[in-house]
Amino acid sequence: MRLFTPLSLAAVAAIGFASVPVSATGVITCKAGPASGWKSEKALSDKLTKEGWTVRKSKVDGGCYEVYGTTPEGDRVEAYFHPVTLEKLYVGRRGEVLFRKKGY
Amino acid sequence: MLRIILNKKLTFWTLLCLPALLMLRPYFFGDLIAMDMLHPTGEWSARFMIAAMVLSPLLSLLGARPWLSWLIQRRRALGVAAFAYATLHLVFYIIDMGNLDDILAEFLALGIWTGWAAMLLFVPLAVTSNDASMRALKAGWKRLQRLVYPAAVLVLVHWIFIHNNIGPALVHFIPLMLLVAARYFLPRRHIFKGA
Repeated sequence: MRLFTPLSLAAVAAIGFASVPVSATGVITCKAGPASGWKSEKALSDKLTKEGWTVRKSKVDGGCYEVYGTTPEGDRVEAYFHPVTLEKLYVGRRGEVLFRKKGY
Repeated sequence: MLRIILNKKLTFWTLLCLPALLMLRPYFFGDLIAMDMLHPTGEWSARFMIAAMVLSPLLSLLGARPWLSWLIQRRRALGVAAFAYATLHLVFYIIDMGNLDDILAEFLALGIWTGWAAMLLFVPLAVTSNDASMRALKAGWKRLQRLVYPAAVLVLVHWIFIHNNIGPALVHFIPLMLLVAARYFLPRRHIFKGA
């Protein structure tokens, strides 16, 4: 039965890792309270568009708004914003950190 | 009758195309954008690559089984499918990025160049996945196809660093790593002894 050890190990590992929540990527976490107090995603995307961003897509990640788009400077990035203040917390390009607010 | 259909080459190719058909549907209906297609195409490419890679270790560990032999006879198709999904992945990446400047700007990020490098290694593997190449390259064919191991390492690094998230990549790669390791560390089973 020793032959099945690696197989069962693999199965256990697979189940273990599959149960890790995949929703939050863990880049940035916002403790912004209940979503009822948040500004809307549209408010954020309107604000960013006005500032010169191109917003391709946005979603909630780690309790923050995560935006995929192009900055006014023309960089293709992934950025995090606080859902209540809409403050910019993090800007990254494929995992390379371009900006991170102190404390986040 | 079922067996005949199951063993048709076309049946296996259709099976391999199925995930692509399912994932492309919402894209063509406009429900998803190119960016959304990156994850499923990449994930399926890795899955087919891993599926092709685990067959030999499984054969060493389990001995000959009918289902295993059935899959081993179709291993090249699995590899070609991995390449096809990787190509789809690259096409959607180019559509999503939209211009060369943006592609070059992020080229050196660890999560990006590893993807390009893996793609580059996939090309000779896919191009030689046919009878004529096997005949022409003789023993060299197997050596060439072993490039899949460095390619797999690149794919793993690409996946982890593109997502800032190690979980989903490991779900796929840990079984592969265990099987490959087991093949080397455990005593081999006599493959042709009754299963």
